[in-house]
Amino acid sequence: MIKKILKVLQKDFKTSRRDFMAAYIIMAPILIAIAIAVFTPGLNDTTVNLAMLESDDAAHIEYMEQFAKVEVFESVEDMEARVEKRDDIAALVPAGDSYEIVVQGNEPEAVPGYTKVLEALYQLGATKEETTAELMSFGHTVPPLKTMFVNMMISMTVMLAGMLIAISIVEEKTENTINAVNVTPLTQTGFVIGKSLFGGLTALAGIVIGLFITGYGDINWIMIILVGLSSMILSLVVGFIQGLTSDDLMEAASNVKMLFLPIAGSIAGYELLADKWQWTMYWSPFYWSYKANLLILSKTADWPTVLLCTGMVIALSLVVYFLARPKIREGLS
Amino acid sequence: MISVKNLSHLYNKEGKPAVNNISFEVEKGETFGFLGPSGAGKSTTQGVLTGLLKLQKGEVNVAGYDVSHVQNKRFNKIGVSFEQSNVYGKLTAKENLEFYAKLFDVETRDAQELIDLVGLSGKENVRAGEFSKGMKHRLTFARSMINNPELWFLDEPTTGLDPAIAATIKDIINAQKAKGTTAFLTTHNMYIADELCDRVAFIIDGEIKLIDTPKNLKLKYGQKLVDVEYLEGGKTKKETFKTIDEADRNKLAEVIKKHDIQTMHTKEATLEEIFIQVTGRGLV
Repeated sequence: MIKKILKVLQKDFKTSRRDFMAAYIIMAPILIAIAIAVFTPGLNDTTVNLAMLESDDAAHIEYMEQFAKVEVFESVEDMEARVEKRDDIAALVPAGDSYEIVVQGNEPEAVPGYTKVLEALYQLGATKEETTAELMSFGHTVPPLKTMFVNMMISMTVMLAGMLIAISIVEEKTENTINAVNVTPLTQTGFVIGKSLFGGLTALAGIVIGLFITGYGDINWIMIILVGLSSMILSLVVGFIQGLTSDDLMEAASNVKMLFLPIAGSIAGYELLADKWQWTMYWSPFYWSYKANLLILSKTADWPTVLLCTGMVIALSLVVYFLARPKIREGLS
Repeated sequence: MISVKNLSHLYNKEGKPAVNNISFEVEKGETFGFLGPSGAGKSTTQGVLTGLLKLQKGEVNVAGYDVSHVQNKRFNKIGVSFEQSNVYGKLTAKENLEFYAKLFDVETRDAQELIDLVGLSGKENVRAGEFSKGMKHRLTFARSMINNPELWFLDEPTTGLDPAIAATIKDIINAQKAKGTTAFLTTHNMYIADELCDRVAFIIDGEIKLIDTPKNLKLKYGQKLVDVEYLEGGKTKKETFKTIDEADRNKLAEVIKKHDIQTMHTKEATLEEIFIQVTGRGLV
């Protein structure tokens, strides 16, 4: 049976290499990873925004400009008005012989922390040339923005696995080759496994290559592969259903794109909802996989959390699978 | 090799059965023709026999396997040539056959040998998507032989092929028959059935009306007449003689003896004529 499953896998790889759309889908995660690597800032480029008074010591402003993006204002009121705007910025307000750091209150801890360290270094008279130290992070081992983009790339690649399956099934349908396979000793289960391996392995390869390109080669690979494989279950199920219910490639591709909605919704929910509202996203397997991947990519994941997230992804995906199984079996007959 | 008892099949629970209580048997080594017009129930019957359609009612045993219990290994003994060609367009002819060969557990035939056999030599490395309809049909036909089947299902094997290629396909079927392969041939082409089949079944509206050998059918339903055109006094004369009438037989002998015969045809009925006579319906 394994030999036959591998033959289906090999055949699907061969036919997809000869199909423009499938080849593009296979290449998409790699192209996205290159874009992320090129356009998102590296960790050492990470900085904070600082608001300072125009009347402040020019040397002080010049010193800070080496390490932070500095905006100067005429008055303390102007600085405070600036701090109250939506983005993250800290104001250095003179208070006698020292300075006070004024923030809005909703910034990451790194913002006031980084500002405090910079001010201390200035007070101590430390210069770039005198130190061998390098500022790495405050609470983060990798850049948060880049991590978010890479995590989104992983989610999208998982969805592409479903799209590959859908395209492959539609081709089998239009060429009527499913009937030809059905009169061979290959079982329907073997056929489904072969096709799933094709979508799953392609997406997994895209994720691995993408992570290396974006500089995440030193993460816990067992964790990331575990989460990746579990989150593919739902994508593959959707791929099979859409493939079997669509009449042509374009219809299948556009139907699978609907998966973007729960994926994007899950990401937005995780990133934007307050802690007390996070439970509203618990229904989505993509929420759990995004959460687990974020922890793994930022190297703060522990096994209990990863296993909990993986378990939730598998459980929710299996519910969808069992609901869809009769339709898949009927479509393949 | 095939045993069907009281087979019925419904596509729609409230509709008319596509196949209604049919029974027949096919012996090992026999070429059995299943003949009828479109919508008669031929493909439904073949679908159930090959396992592509689920058995709903009746008992069906194919190549020693009860089809009510799904066992894919039975396909090691079975070959199916579909009416509509179904090959992977992005794979070459050879890749198509090699892929299917790997799905069987038995010794398979060489892909190139089969390609040559169906007249596709030189096209083995061309993608099937670039093939004409007839070429795809030949590749589908070749694939059905990949596992040296003991039982061979042939659905309209010569439909859409030019006469020369159709003749090649008929020769291949006869060669397989000589090797002892059992064939279940579904067609609405009575000439093909007449040439290839040991026995034929006429199916119409989901019911089998008759099963017999083509020879017996012709004897039973033929008119037993001879049409003769001969020259008499410089003019061509045409007469029909009854071969069962002694006076006519003597007269025919006299004509042959005394006159220059231009044409002479026995008026035995074709299978198509017999089909119409038996079922009251045409084949299209």
